Amino acid sequence: MSSEPMSDTHILKIESLEAKVATENLDILNGVNLEIGKGEVHAIMGPNGSGKSTLAKILAGHPSYEATAGRVLFKGQNLFELDVDERSRAGIFLAFQYPVEIPGVSIANFLRTALQAHLVDEEELDIFEFTDMLTERMSMLEMDISFAERHVNDGFSGGEKKRNEILQMAVLRPTLAVMDETDSGLDIDALKIVANGVNKLTEEDPEMSILLITHYQRLLNYIKPDFVHVMVDGRLVRSGGPEIALELEKDGYKNWKDSGAVSSGVPKTA
Amino acid sequence: MTDSLFSKGVTEALNFSAVERLCITEPDWLRERREHAWALYEQTPMPTTKLEEWRYTDLRKQLQLDTLSLSQATVVSDDPTAWPKRLRKAMKEDRQASGHIVVIDGHVVHSDLEAELIAKGVILSSLHDAIEQHPSLVENWLATEAVPPEEGKFAALNAALWSDGIFLYVPADVQLNTPIRVTRWLSEAGVAQFGRVLILAENASRISYVDEILSDDFSKQTFASNAVEIIAKERAQVQYVSVQRLGRGAFYQSVQRTLAYRDASLDTLNVALGASVSRVDLNACLLGERANSDMLGLYFGDDDQHFDFNTSQDHISPDTASDLLYKGALDAASRAVFRGIIRVKPTAQRTDAYQTNRNLLLSGNARADSLPNLEIEADDVKCSHGATVGELDPEAKFYLMSRGLSRIQAERLVVLGFLGEVLSKLPLGGVVEKVTRVIEEKLSQH
Repeated sequence: MSSEPMSDTHILKIESLEAKVATENLDILNGVNLEIGKGEVHAIMGPNGSGKSTLAKILAGHPSYEATAGRVLFKGQNLFELDVDERSRAGIFLAFQYPVEIPGVSIANFLRTALQAHLVDEEELDIFEFTDMLTERMSMLEMDISFAERHVNDGFSGGEKKRNEILQMAVLRPTLAVMDETDSGLDIDALKIVANGVNKLTEEDPEMSILLITHYQRLLNYIKPDFVHVMVDGRLVRSGGPEIALELEKDGYKNWKDSGAVSSGVPKTA
Repeated sequence: MTDSLFSKGVTEALNFSAVERLCITEPDWLRERREHAWALYEQTPMPTTKLEEWRYTDLRKQLQLDTLSLSQATVVSDDPTAWPKRLRKAMKEDRQASGHIVVIDGHVVHSDLEAELIAKGVILSSLHDAIEQHPSLVENWLATEAVPPEEGKFAALNAALWSDGIFLYVPADVQLNTPIRVTRWLSEAGVAQFGRVLILAENASRISYVDEILSDDFSKQTFASNAVEIIAKERAQVQYVSVQRLGRGAFYQSVQRTLAYRDASLDTLNVALGASVSRVDLNACLLGERANSDMLGLYFGDDDQHFDFNTSQDHISPDTASDLLYKGALDAASRAVFRGIIRVKPTAQRTDAYQTNRNLLLSGNARADSLPNLEIEADDVKCSHGATVGELDPEAKFYLMSRGLSRIQAERLVVLGFLGEVLSKLPLGGVVEKVTRVIEEKLSQH
């Protein structure tokens, strides 16, 4: 993989993005620039309240957040012209920090409906092919098939919820997976299982791009990023390789918060 | 109609001579019962919204009693090709059955029952046939213990004017493995139709019964009245399912009482999807020790549909249990009223009684009123009641849409999941699929 991706391999291009909570006037993102190439794994790290999760929600189209300036191109297309479901069908997947419980709806039924929605035109999902595929995906992620009959996130432990996110990702096979604090609330064993699942998916599809959003370095011990960005006060203030994560692990975010550092240009190539 | 006439409920069609006409060919005991019922009907004032139990359903506005005539329909032949297409379709969707009854415009036009069950003494027939062939059974139980005319204005009217009904008798120790299926069709607009169901399950018998009523939309208000009496003797197991899919313009009214004797389990499921106004009064009586009743309800409203459920759980004997779960989703300007009471008599120590009503509002104009209540006279009991009225969770919708589901698909999945909890508790063959499909149809119009 090249560290200087060609512009035509850009999957995601974020330009001077500013955003806020729809019902408030305070900007949370204050000019974010970021390019993600095909097959690249990027990590955005930052202290609480820096805007990391807001960026994830803006990319997925959460109705409570609103972009006020800048633009986002996904495979060359203006992302803000797409509704939430269209973004998913275009290939964006958001692994939720807090997956939502849907009582009474089995994971199998949910995934079948989702996959059917991803098919073009009037194409009908073959139920037998689907079941085979789901079984295969679950065995790859070392999940018991009975899990598919449980209701989506209903009464799940933190670890089960996150594994369910990875299963959905494995079934939907996105072009870009945005993983919002996937490590939060997981003990080390659960974290390893989840990271292992993600790594299997990237092995299987080296062209899948990943944007990891995390507060802690520890996730990056298991999912190796190509690029690490530091977000403070709604801006990416530093970009570089995995070594940045190690620096943060040692020194924390204090230096960044106090230095008043600002981003300039496209961070990744800075 | 003047106020006093409405209050009495006597009209050009609904009057004593109509009762007399019905009695011509009937035995004396039945004539006396009808006449007594009619007298009670006239004496009982029409319920008004001043009564707590009718606070949210204003009959003066919602029931045009004086426009109703009595059914003139002739008996359709026992030949499926002569039956309405939608009725045949509804029957086709039912899977296994031990027997069938088809009722068209108040007349039982067909009944069948597995030969093996007939040999064991199971009876499935029209009420009129049962009165001729098994008079003492019917005389003992028809409008006596379960839904007597004293029950209220509509119970009295029904007991006076019922045209036909269904009789199901299961002898002791006989167990049916598949449900009895009843399908009723109404075609006449502007009529009042009165039907009854009498189910008698003897000791240690087992039965499930699914009753579906349906019609097209009506151009004039049509009144469909139903009285349901279910008796489960000692150790009997009875499941009763009612699926109401009447067209718009229908006023559906059903009074149901279940009597559970010692160690009996008597479960009910009321599904309300159709009609413009639907009022169900259900009383579960836990008469014998260790009797148990699960009471399930499901409703889905759109347009300006109005559902009113009035339930009561009466614990008479010790160690009895009842568990009620009614869930509904309401779209457009539809509304639902749930009023439920758990009554535990001093004799009913160690009662377990639960009552839950949950509503999901899909529109800002929909409305649900939930009024759970307890009346406990024993000291060693476990009782709880709960009611919720909530809206579709926007986070759930966002979550599902972020996986590629359209807004409509996401709503459909959440609603079906919400209501599915009720159906999964009584998974009789074909009922879940049919009800799910009808809800999906309603959702796709929204």
